[in-house]
Amino acid sequence: MRNCLIILVILLFSLPIPDLIAEKNKHAEYVKHVEQGFLHLFQGNNQGTIDAFESALAIEPEHYEILHYLGMIYADDSSWNKAVEVYQRSINIKPDNIEVLYSLAVVHFKLNQWNDAEKHLKQVITLSPQHARGHEVLGKVYVKLRQYTAAVEILKKSIKLKPNSAGNYNELGNAYLNLKNYPDAIDNFTKAIKYGSPDFADPHFGLGTAYLRSGNREKSKQEMEIYKNLQKQAADHERFTRLTRVDPNNLEGWTGLARVLMHQKKYNRAIPTFQKCIEIGNSQNAPAGAIASYYHGLSQAFINIRYPKLALEPAQKAVQLMPKQDIFYNTLGSVYAMLGDVQNAIAVFQRAVDLNEEHPIYHLNLSKLYKSIGNHKLGNEHYQAYEYFLSQQKKPK
Amino acid sequence: MFYLRLFLFTCLSFLFSVGVVINVTANKKENQMILVSAGTFTMGSTIRAADEKPVHKVYLDAYYISKFEVTNAEYYEFWNSLQNDPRESAKDRKKHTPENFTHLLHIGNWPERATEFPDYPVVGVSWHDAKAYAEWKGMRLPTEAEWEKAARGYTDRIWPWGNAMTSNANTSEKNDGYENKIAPVGSYPDGKSFYGAMDMAGNVWEWTADWYSDVYYIHSPKQNPEGPAVGSWRVLRGGSWIDKLTRCSTTFRFYLYPSLKTSFVGFRLAKTAEKTD
Repeated sequence: MRNCLIILVILLFSLPIPDLIAEKNKHAEYVKHVEQGFLHLFQGNNQGTIDAFESALAIEPEHYEILHYLGMIYADDSSWNKAVEVYQRSINIKPDNIEVLYSLAVVHFKLNQWNDAEKHLKQVITLSPQHARGHEVLGKVYVKLRQYTAAVEILKKSIKLKPNSAGNYNELGNAYLNLKNYPDAIDNFTKAIKYGSPDFADPHFGLGTAYLRSGNREKSKQEMEIYKNLQKQAADHERFTRLTRVDPNNLEGWTGLARVLMHQKKYNRAIPTFQKCIEIGNSQNAPAGAIASYYHGLSQAFINIRYPKLALEPAQKAVQLMPKQDIFYNTLGSVYAMLGDVQNAIAVFQRAVDLNEEHPIYHLNLSKLYKSIGNHKLGNEHYQAYEYFLSQQKKPK
Repeated sequence: MFYLRLFLFTCLSFLFSVGVVINVTANKKENQMILVSAGTFTMGSTIRAADEKPVHKVYLDAYYISKFEVTNAEYYEFWNSLQNDPRESAKDRKKHTPENFTHLLHIGNWPERATEFPDYPVVGVSWHDAKAYAEWKGMRLPTEAEWEKAARGYTDRIWPWGNAMTSNANTSEKNDGYENKIAPVGSYPDGKSFYGAMDMAGNVWEWTADWYSDVYYIHSPKQNPEGPAVGSWRVLRGGSWIDKLTRCSTTFRFYLYPSLKTSFVGFRLAKTAEKTD
């Protein structure tokens, strides 16, 4: 009996104490929030990500990784001070984390805190000498600090690490411009335009300034004109974005935004925007022509990122809604052609020609397809039609 | 009555405090190692994300890659050996324990899920866990280049099975057979890669050996690249059950902190093939 009691006492000591169970439950809650945070992150839901990660960190605050992800979302939302706070907490836990140091430096840059940015970027490139983004932002910081010689040195290294970076060339152009080295400034701004996205306005301004200062007024005027147009596009982008943020059902805002994104060749972002247009357009009983144009835009965006299979359905819907619109048939034909369905492609390109025989591109598309299946006679006929209508278009009216 | 309840409670508590011994009699698939012959392949993509550029040729020595993602049953053997290893401290025994996902019933808790779902890929493992398992098996994690070659072969396949956008993988897209949950390994035989590796698109992201750098492809060695020397994140490949098919392409690069243990990340194994004259 006594032995039994001793065993019982020993067993009682092995009981999991309530604190341990509570801790386990808390950790399960933490895991759940982290998982939800990642789901929201992948779905592009910033607020959901913030809520989930904040909840997770309220339970277990010492996760430097989750703090970093949270900071990145705050930064994406332009909540710079919040981003600095959580990055700093992350660094306090793991001081030599290259990517958090870089993220923190970028936020300091956004807040015009050049010296803080410089300090963290120097740490980044010391820890990771091949860190291209670190060199690039440090170059920008030196330009802001008017340390142009230092900027040239670091940006040249940055270009070695990332040879086709438009941002690097633009900053190097700025550094040379301020050093009054106009030929090198022109060379680098030109490269920034070559490698940059079509909506990258800054190098046009830099190039215009460099031409002006080196006495070439004509070229300067041309570049400044391009700069103004791109600035207008950017302003439109911002205006339409704001409209959609203020009123998420503002069809005009979504339509304008989709148009600007296509113009800027941001097809990946145009896709969900057109999808939103279709959703809102249908719920607001928008005219068939408008809905058809959204489907058409969606199809074109998929074509441009080379996903013809996803482009097919919207292209077909556009044609169903507006069966007399020749351009919609041309797009549908292009999709069929990309999918290797030559017969259907020929049939719908032919329909586009039937509706508007003076459009040269429809003939060119038909010509290529006929030639691809060995029908050179029809291929040549349509090519001649293409050349003829093209020359007609070029004639002064 | 009180003493009886106390006794029962004590016995149950004792059981939990020493850990439940479970019997994993897995119906597990034989995780063969597939030989990927030496040679040059095309890595990267010009038309997708910026970090997939430039497209470049890479020569790799011959290596083996596992046909399937490492399963719960396989990982259990490793984990169980740690629990029974007298050299390991209590802390070290716990170290490589996969994360519990109490809120996700199709995954569940460890080690119970090794019995319930033996043929499912092990998830909730960090990069360090994956590396430790690989080393215990006398193998290693594939490099990023090895992973991509095993997925796309010598061709420009967007997905392991080719360029058709069909549901040959467990992704977040609807109607792929496993809505919002993990699938047992090898559930998509039509999704096999050029070399016959399964689930290289979807199901779970797979840890690779390499650190992540967005500009690595610009400077990477042409032969047997092993990733940057330093970094914060490790590269993951293949996409998962929570991702859209577009993120599951053979070239898509994802990265996470190596310490993270999530429900959508697992791994497969690799081994260098011995050279023969």
